[in-house]
Amino acid sequence: MSSVAINPFSTKAAFAHRPGFSHRFQIESALGEQLASTLLLRERAAPLTVPTGITALDALTGGLPRGALSEIAGPASSGRTGVLVSALAGATRRQEVCALVDASDSFDPASAAAAGVNLERLLWVRCSREARVRGRKKAAMSHEQRQPTTFPFSAALEQVLKVTDLLLQGGGFGMVALDLGDIPMESVRRVPLTSWFRFRRAVEPTATVLLLVEQEPCAKTCASLVLRLQSEAIFASGPCLAEPPNARPDPCPVVPENNVVSHAALLHGMRLRAEVARSWAQRKPPRSAQTRFELRTAL
Amino acid sequence: MFACIYVPDFPVEAMVRAEPLLRERAVAVLDGKPPLARVIALNEKARLLGMEAGMTKLQAGVFAEAAVPTATKQSGQQPGNINIAASPLPRQAVLRQRAPDQEASAHAALLDVAHAFTPRVEDTAADTLLLDLAGMERLYGAPARMAGDLASRVAAVGIEANLAVAANPDAAMHAARGFNGITVIPAGNEARRLGVLPVQVLLDSFEISAQEKNGGKARAREREKLRAQMLDTLERWGVRDFRTLALLPEHALASRLGPVGVKLRRLACGAGTRTLVLCDPPAQFEESMELESPVETIESLSFVLNRLLEQLCARLEARALAIQELRLRLQLEHRVAEEETTTIQELTGSGSHSVVFERALRLPVAMRDAKVFLKLLQLDLSAYLPGAPVVKIWITAGPAPPRSAQRGLFLPISPEAEKLEITLARINAIIGQRRAGIARLLGSHRQGSFRMDRFASATGELNPTEWDSSGEVPMAMRLFRPACRLRVHLSDGRPASLSAETAQHDQQNLQGRVLWSAGPWRLSGDWWTERAMDDGPWDREEWDIALAAGGSSAMGGEGNVALYRIYRDLATGQWFVDASYD
Repeated sequence: MSSVAINPFSTKAAFAHRPGFSHRFQIESALGEQLASTLLLRERAAPLTVPTGITALDALTGGLPRGALSEIAGPASSGRTGVLVSALAGATRRQEVCALVDASDSFDPASAAAAGVNLERLLWVRCSREARVRGRKKAAMSHEQRQPTTFPFSAALEQVLKVTDLLLQGGGFGMVALDLGDIPMESVRRVPLTSWFRFRRAVEPTATVLLLVEQEPCAKTCASLVLRLQSEAIFASGPCLAEPPNARPDPCPVVPENNVVSHAALLHGMRLRAEVARSWAQRKPPRSAQTRFELRTAL
Repeated sequence: MFACIYVPDFPVEAMVRAEPLLRERAVAVLDGKPPLARVIALNEKARLLGMEAGMTKLQAGVFAEAAVPTATKQSGQQPGNINIAASPLPRQAVLRQRAPDQEASAHAALLDVAHAFTPRVEDTAADTLLLDLAGMERLYGAPARMAGDLASRVAAVGIEANLAVAANPDAAMHAARGFNGITVIPAGNEARRLGVLPVQVLLDSFEISAQEKNGGKARAREREKLRAQMLDTLERWGVRDFRTLALLPEHALASRLGPVGVKLRRLACGAGTRTLVLCDPPAQFEESMELESPVETIESLSFVLNRLLEQLCARLEARALAIQELRLRLQLEHRVAEEETTTIQELTGSGSHSVVFERALRLPVAMRDAKVFLKLLQLDLSAYLPGAPVVKIWITAGPAPPRSAQRGLFLPISPEAEKLEITLARINAIIGQRRAGIARLLGSHRQGSFRMDRFASATGELNPTEWDSSGEVPMAMRLFRPACRLRVHLSDGRPASLSAETAQHDQQNLQGRVLWSAGPWRLSGDWWTERAMDDGPWDREEWDIALAAGGSSAMGGEGNVALYRIYRDLATGQWFVDASYD
């Protein structure tokens, strides 16, 4: 019955001309107080959010929601790690304990510390590509005797899923980040959707931000926020062909001229474009919301 | 005011403390080498079966095979006619060899409880402790309440003991040895209350005092003989209890038994007084158990570990301490293979080789939860198998003051220390040791120089004002571990195109034309060292490059540009890529 999701007391005037409305109104009036929770539209309360540390992104998304799964997707050099590190830096500055599940062991502590991440409050879990065989006797088995992997990076993904389960069950983390940025999409897509549902259910009653960094979004409806990133231009010393911020981007990112003396050139940063593909704050179909921001070299 | 804790049948109680299920059974403890092994202690249920101290193993074995209730035996019934199932007693008695380690643990537990109550404790015997309660009334209340409190603390460490409170230590000791449960004797009533006790209690207690004076077991047999003579003499005089002995004239007793007789009479009157010989609390917290049969599986071992850990935690709780380090030692049945003896020490005791397997857990915060320790030990043993059946277990705790943390409504969330330890142990079991923790940067210019440290949520307090952000968000880097070898084509001295030498799955896009490059920047370090490989000297030329990556982006672009940091190792001339800007 469509009226289940509608507040009868606020729609009286709209349905007054329809036949049978008076009977329905009487029933709903009689049962309204007893079954108010059934008859009222349940609006899910907006989740608490935490800032990413990038002003433009926070203005676009409202921040990363707590108790929900957020995805940051983009190809290599699209700024996804920069956004991840910025979010981790903000969380550790708030004295929260964070965990980073690194599927490809590619985290750079030096650049993270330079970005403001307090490494003392970051649990870094370095997954390995090879399946670990438990027990010393088994570990001594030859490479040929090991079980063949079913698909590339299956061992790393299996470790990521198991470790994430443990971290979410343990609780108490302000942010749990899964870095699948170097895992090919054909492997990430093999992760069952039930795993993402399980993570979403596990994180829902907590104040933990579950952040997923990957090349393409994969958690589908389990994600409360999906952010796509793309590089627009590279800043370097010497002539730079950076476009004005509001100009329509070229199909390919703008790259500086290479005709200067190479050792006189210096990488300064990147201009990036972010698009919200899914958000807890927006109804379907998602509005095309984009923003631009810059990342600068710190080292 | 003095209190006495006395544990009747101490060897049996020490055994029962380690195996609580034995409390419902008739238990007898044997001591001595197999042909001469005799029953030295037995519990009340064993006595009801008809067992006695001093029985040989063969005699006691009869009760262990098919126990016969004493009443039935006295009635002259044949064993075959007894309805054993209807008997309220267990069918069989349990015979156990004496376990000195377990007795030492039980005695240490008693000392822990006593020292938690008062610092003035006399270690009178293995089964007897005397406590000076002077001035404790304001802390614990009336003597009866103190006795109840002390009894509950003793029960908390798994020991059933008699407890007595009296005005002098000897009266308290006699009351504890003579009366079951809790006994409180008001001052002045000692002679009346102790009067009903048999004179054997006095002689047993007197023997303890003589043992203290003579210093040990050297004259044990001689003392036993003297005790038997004294008991025989008193029996012939018709003196069977304290009251009768107290009524004897002191001068006549002195002329016949000497000073010993005078002292015995004074003790029987409850008038003896002396100064306690104080002892220090035990410095080591260790629990051990020798298994009757070797245990092969971790699941079976867990039951024993759980019991030992519970005992250990109860002892530490009595002393208001927690565990910072836990050391597990397992004596194995056989020698294991040579390649697996890295953490194994060899003991050559009792003429035969025995191997001890050791594991140590160092905790970032002090804890006192036996379940947490059990889970940590299970996970650790799963990762590092002992390799042979276990015959004996020792668990030693490194004590530390317990955590004093006060939570607040406005403090940021953080994992519970106990849960975090178990989570980390499980993660280590999945990904391997030392692959989860805190990254600590090292003071080196070498790329990717850091070390992994143990993670603890309580470490490091960062002042929120410490980080001064300029508003710019820095680029982060993703490292290739290990660095990927490249084939690089140069044009005018700068990279023009490149491709990865080994086609790995995550480096499939690492090829193509170089759109932009900056460099080279020459870096070197550790040239003053002579170490080889990873820790040795390094010398390289770095380049930042923009590489055209194939494919189309999801946001409508037709191509992507990826930024990498590549370098040429000047020692070998090889090109590598070790990081990407992201």
